[in-house]
Amino acid sequence: MWQWFFKLGSPKWFYELSGKWLPWLVAAMSLLLVIGITWALLFVPPDYQQGNTIRIMYIHVPFASISLAFFPLMAVAGTITLVWRMKLADMVAKTAAPLGAWFTALALISGSIWGSDIWGTWWIWDGRLTSMLLQFFLLVGVISLRSALEDTDAAAKACAVLSIVGCINVFVIKYSVDWWNTLHQPSSPIGMAGDSANGPEIWVPLVIMIVAVYLFFAVSLILSTRNEILQRERRSKWVQELLASA
Amino acid sequence: MLAALQFSSIGEFFQMGGYAFNVWTVYVLFLLFFFVNLYFPLIRKKQIIRELKRRLILRNEVPANKHD
Repeated sequence: MWQWFFKLGSPKWFYELSGKWLPWLVAAMSLLLVIGITWALLFVPPDYQQGNTIRIMYIHVPFASISLAFFPLMAVAGTITLVWRMKLADMVAKTAAPLGAWFTALALISGSIWGSDIWGTWWIWDGRLTSMLLQFFLLVGVISLRSALEDTDAAAKACAVLSIVGCINVFVIKYSVDWWNTLHQPSSPIGMAGDSANGPEIWVPLVIMIVAVYLFFAVSLILSTRNEILQRERRSKWVQELLASA
Repeated sequence: MLAALQFSSIGEFFQMGGYAFNVWTVYVLFLLFFFVNLYFPLIRKKQIIRELKRRLILRNEVPANKHD
């Protein structure tokens, strides 16, 4: 029963499987992105208060929601590293950190540009914004911690612990809009009926964009992890064979 | 569900009802990030393979030279 789990931990197996999956993931990502962006830019009706800035939501919300997935992902990978010493888990954790910092930065920047007109300010020390900025610095912290430690195993363990502890901040970000009633709005309920305030013409393209950006996250993570595998497994027989045939 | 096209001309589309700067900056940043984030790992892969191949050749040649 556990065989698949340990098989999954084999870098060679992951490299071969991800190689087969990548073209499909890229195709699905491209298709959804083209549909999502066209829909968001041309067909979504302008908001009655925000006008056309509503279109920023279709970039901001996918990036903001997916950037919350990085710490849990790194924590799960970190736990696997600590408990089972699985090499692949640490490779994923290592490539996830910089990617997470970029995703968080884009969520912050797009939110700031959106807020500059709608809220009348680029930045405010609101609960959601501050906890999100903290996540950015925590991710930068994880990256620096890894680069500061020369020993790969020690770095893996230290980053695993920091990632697990850093998960607390994800709850703070998630519930910040309910705990502190400052500026950032809570998430809106979606309406199923055609005449509701947040009807399908608003949320269907948003769901498409969220799935598309999730696929983009998966593709980026897989590409970087494959590079990491090649480097760390360079002495193994299968990489040598791969190089000989490349 | 799919509402009608919201702009009646290209000019109106680019103006975004007066929010051209905000909307277009976010979309341009997204596209920039999107392509850079896919392009760099691919370039890096080529570099890694080139570097590892070079090492492989070096390692195969060194023992051969010793025997000479």
